[in-house]
Amino acid sequence: MVLKIFYPQCCNLANSGLLIGSWIQGHNSAVVLAVVHYPFIPGQVKRYIQQVSTASGVKLSVLGSWSLPSEAEKGVENFLRDLRTIFPQDRWLQISRKMGQTGFNCSILDRSQGTILFVHYDQRNVMLSQLHPIQTEELDPSDSELRQVFQIVSLSQPLFLLDRYDDGPLKSTHWQSGGQEASIIVELLKMASVPLCLTISCLLHLLPLNFLCSKLSTCVQLSYRSDHLRALSSPKTAVGHSEFMRKANVLVSILVDMALGFLLMYWLYSDNHISMLANALVPAADHVAKELEELLQWLMGAPAGLKMNRALDEVLGRFFLYHIHLWISYIHLMSPFVETILWYGGLSAGLGLSFALALLSDMVALLTFHIYCFYVYGARLYCLKIYGLSSLWRLFRGKKWNVLRQRVDSCSYDLDQLFIGTLLFTILLFLFPTTALYYLVFTLLRLLVVVLQGILHLTVDLINSLPLFAVALRLTRFYRLAEGVKFSVLCDEPDTPLHLLMEINPLSCASVIKTYRTPTYSCYPKDSWTNLVKKLFVGELIYPWKHKTIKTD
Amino acid sequence: MGQRGRAVLQSNASQQESSGTSQDALKHNRKHNICMVSDFFYPNMGGVESHIYLLSQCLIEKGHKVVIVTHSYGKRKGVRYLTNGLKVYYLPLQVMYNQSTVTTCFHSLPLLRCVLVRERITVVHAHSSFSALAHDSLFHAKTMGLNTVFTDHSLFGFADISSVLTNKLLTITLCDTNHIVCVSYTSKENTVLRAALNPEIVSVIPNAVESTDFTPDPSQRRDDRITIVVISRLVYRKGIDLLGGIIPELCLKHPDLNFLIGGEGPKRLVLEEVREKYQLHDRVRLLGALEHKDVRNVLVQGHIFLNTSLTEAFCMAIVEGASCGLQVVSTCVGGIPEVLPEDLITLCEPNVRSLCAGLEKVIARQRSGAVPTPASIHARVKNLYTWRNVAERTEKVYDRVVGEEVLPLHMRIQRLRSHCGPVAGSIFAFVAVLDFLFLLLLQWLVPDQIMDLAVDASGPFGMWNQESGIKKRTSSQKS
Amino acid sequence: MEGESFTDINGTPIFLDCQSHSTFCREFTVTSPKVPVTKVIVFTCSIWLLAYAVFLFTEDTVVLTSAILITLVSMMLYVHLVKVEQETLFIIGSLGVQMSSSYASGRETTTFIELNKIKDIVINEAIYMHQIIYYLCVLLKDPSDPDAVSSVVPLFQSSKPRLNCLMKVYRSCQEILSKCP
Repeated sequence: MVLKIFYPQCCNLANSGLLIGSWIQGHNSAVVLAVVHYPFIPGQVKRYIQQVSTASGVKLSVLGSWSLPSEAEKGVENFLRDLRTIFPQDRWLQISRKMGQTGFNCSILDRSQGTILFVHYDQRNVMLSQLHPIQTEELDPSDSELRQVFQIVSLSQPLFLLDRYDDGPLKSTHWQSGGQEASIIVELLKMASVPLCLTISCLLHLLPLNFLCSKLSTCVQLSYRSDHLRALSSPKTAVGHSEFMRKANVLVSILVDMALGFLLMYWLYSDNHISMLANALVPAADHVAKELEELLQWLMGAPAGLKMNRALDEVLGRFFLYHIHLWISYIHLMSPFVETILWYGGLSAGLGLSFALALLSDMVALLTFHIYCFYVYGARLYCLKIYGLSSLWRLFRGKKWNVLRQRVDSCSYDLDQLFIGTLLFTILLFLFPTTALYYLVFTLLRLLVVVLQGILHLTVDLINSLPLFAVALRLTRFYRLAEGVKFSVLCDEPDTPLHLLMEINPLSCASVIKTYRTPTYSCYPKDSWTNLVKKLFVGELIYPWKHKTIKTD
Repeated sequence: MGQRGRAVLQSNASQQESSGTSQDALKHNRKHNICMVSDFFYPNMGGVESHIYLLSQCLIEKGHKVVIVTHSYGKRKGVRYLTNGLKVYYLPLQVMYNQSTVTTCFHSLPLLRCVLVRERITVVHAHSSFSALAHDSLFHAKTMGLNTVFTDHSLFGFADISSVLTNKLLTITLCDTNHIVCVSYTSKENTVLRAALNPEIVSVIPNAVESTDFTPDPSQRRDDRITIVVISRLVYRKGIDLLGGIIPELCLKHPDLNFLIGGEGPKRLVLEEVREKYQLHDRVRLLGALEHKDVRNVLVQGHIFLNTSLTEAFCMAIVEGASCGLQVVSTCVGGIPEVLPEDLITLCEPNVRSLCAGLEKVIARQRSGAVPTPASIHARVKNLYTWRNVAERTEKVYDRVVGEEVLPLHMRIQRLRSHCGPVAGSIFAFVAVLDFLFLLLLQWLVPDQIMDLAVDASGPFGMWNQESGIKKRTSSQKS
Repeated sequence: MEGESFTDINGTPIFLDCQSHSTFCREFTVTSPKVPVTKVIVFTCSIWLLAYAVFLFTEDTVVLTSAILITLVSMMLYVHLVKVEQETLFIIGSLGVQMSSSYASGRETTTFIELNKIKDIVINEAIYMHQIIYYLCVLLKDPSDPDAVSSVVPLFQSSKPRLNCLMKVYRSCQEILSKCP
């Protein structure tokens, strides 16, 4: 059997003393956490270990002895062996360094003999890092070995509080923080944040957000943000790594969002850009309407050389033209107020860039309402015809749709039924191309608007869900988010056991984003592409990224 | 590892011993590396699939090495091993229609070449004329200079456009093939006519039935009623429309008649409608798709087995039915009359009236008790068709084929042009040349010696045999 | 230990280096040859000549600029993301298996799999492009069912050595794995 000893790098040059650490349950391995130097009083060491064990929840014990070459005197050998009787253990490790050798020597004082493997680790990095995929913080013997090492090291933080310069009865070597000068400011901030959080949550409880309709993306964004704020402002501290990361991500994304929003506001209000926009908007809407009118005129003639059913074509064309007429008059009615609306709308950027974008999306939806109407009329007509044609085609072949069994049955029709059916079928078939053309043109227009809105939604979604804090953490403190570890051979001398160096393998940026993405309302199209095309073909209505509940009969 | 090494040595020694006895014995004991190619294989279910599987198992038992090449089925891609080290290559080729792959004559060459080279194949055995992969492999194997065998499992017409096209394709691919195997004499006649072949290179090896799987069990029958069992895919070719005509007529006449129908397919609707129209829900049971192991349990519940096929090269189902001790009534089409002795089967014309008359006759006989016992029928059918017999006969075909020389390219082109008519012959001669050039290109890109030879699973040096041998040896040591 | 040269599945020579650090710890390094200079030159020259031909017709210098940029960017991406120069399998008995691959640009990716997640290391067959190849892979245990294999991690994915090389690595891996239960 191979005995694995996880040894902290900071104790490589420590003075001789006792090794304090923990045996890993279920595996043949030990984690060394600190070295307590000579001289010491055994009773105090025992008491100290007891204290730290209860504080950290890790079963700490004295693993063995550690000796540097300088103290290699005669009689030391016996002394080291005698130490074992003071601290009774199943296995007693005697680790020593020799002059002129980089590797350590180790002997185990117990029945089983086997090879030894030293794994050196950086105590600070291992203590601070979080192994992915995230699991519970509890120590679980069935866990994998490395996970247990990470947990033991991170849980035994109380052990590292003993400072080198403390004037206590025990001296020990382990990782020590560089200092905590900034901690006062942090504490003050923490103190201040509690009342702030309380006020924000009170305010949020007052806000009646629930009844706001979910159709407007601004409202959706508003309720979404308020959810975020509610989560942030809960006075309880975050429990566990993932909740902490979630809160931090949300906070950073709100801050970044607001900063971008203020930039936008600065640009909007600085140079009278608002009135410029307002002046451009009305002519643009006019222009679109005019183009549409031309398109309709074209459709009413012989579009692309196609010969349409004249009467139906006229009826449809007139209907749509009247609609456009209504629309233009509506726009003109609105034109004096556009600037004011824009000015107040621009203020929303103060809440964040995402709000401004959501508002823009809503405005696009409102301004292209006529296109939506056309599309719905076209689609309904087209859908009706498709259904009529398909059921009459079944009649043609002597079949019918059995509603109860959801299948096509054969059926014998009367002569009258067949005659009427065939007549209707012919009429529908000949009128079909006209409707189909109108449907095609307006669907294309609708798709354009949907794509534009989709892009806006995606941007808002990106701002909402991008885990900026996690990415920053990955870039600056790569060891905090660990995907795993990597090993390299540290030294391989013939007489000494093998020494490996364990380093943190940081999480790749892609998986950082994947794990820490804030869950959002699913703004992505629920349909697959084939499904979308099918829907378009049959003439069912398509909506931009709306989450529709599936009808269940 | 040491044990394995020893096993190799031993098997070599035993080989040398056997070769030492006589030169003649060597010729008969010659072991082949066989590659079975077909689009149809497990997990698809049907006659061709089980034929390939069982034939391969028997050949492996006889010491040959067998690999199977088919296209991928859903997630089943790559290389798999079945019982006794039967290696199956599921190649990722696009499926076009009815589980048959798309053929462009070329795109399957790289993978097929890889399989043929790394497995050191000596005989390529293609199955079913519906399989595009089989045709491709015959063509490519000839380009690579291998001997080929083709088994035809189905009958074709000559009249409609699809069979005209398939027949032309068959003419072209079969004109190079060394030997063709048909499942019945009718099928042989049909194939010889369709592909304009020399009848001497066509042999008849019927299908077989694992008769131990189909044993009679009269206790499962209901004695107060008469049950007619139909087991087939519910498609047009199997005459389901005829069945739809028979059911109401007979059910009205005989109130104690039941139908038990196993199988799935597009024509299920016909049967469902008949059942609803005549209110026969309690008497006509549709079981849906059956697994192979369940077939016997359905068969033994009936008294009469009915087969209404419109075309059939060799009907395995009626043998299975007879093996379970049922009275068989069938349409007299294709190779069916050859399959069973006359007193075990009642043959009818493929129309509703004739089938009804035949069934009436059998029902009357069943009522009067003038039918042989199921056990006696089983005893007669048991030894008619066995897979061992099929494997032995196929082995003889392989022995004959391996000795033949493969035509070089120019001879092949000449033969194509003389055999298949001026237009199609020239086109396919051109295709053959292109195929050859493509092969040269592939050989330049990845030379044969770069390819790793596959570790044999079955055959004379098969790892699986040796391991089982080791197991046997250790167990004998223990005892 | 000394290195040995083998070929990969396309016939290009590769170099296998086995280092035994201890009885239970071995390192296998497969080194692929560097990108040949001729290939780079041919690639750049062909793109630039093409761009120059287009330039002669259009007389627009944007074509030339973009051609240069495209070659530079694509070469950088190739060196950084595609071309693997060295693949290492580091097997430590009783601890686990570490796979790392270093790219031509110096980027290195490492994955470590703990021993208690590993079911076995085997040689498998697969269809790759238009070939059927052997590859070495690590079988991972299914946590819910210890007898089942949940997934397969292929080793030496970019160098793709031939069977004789894989056999050598496989044998010594099995030697180590058989020692640690």
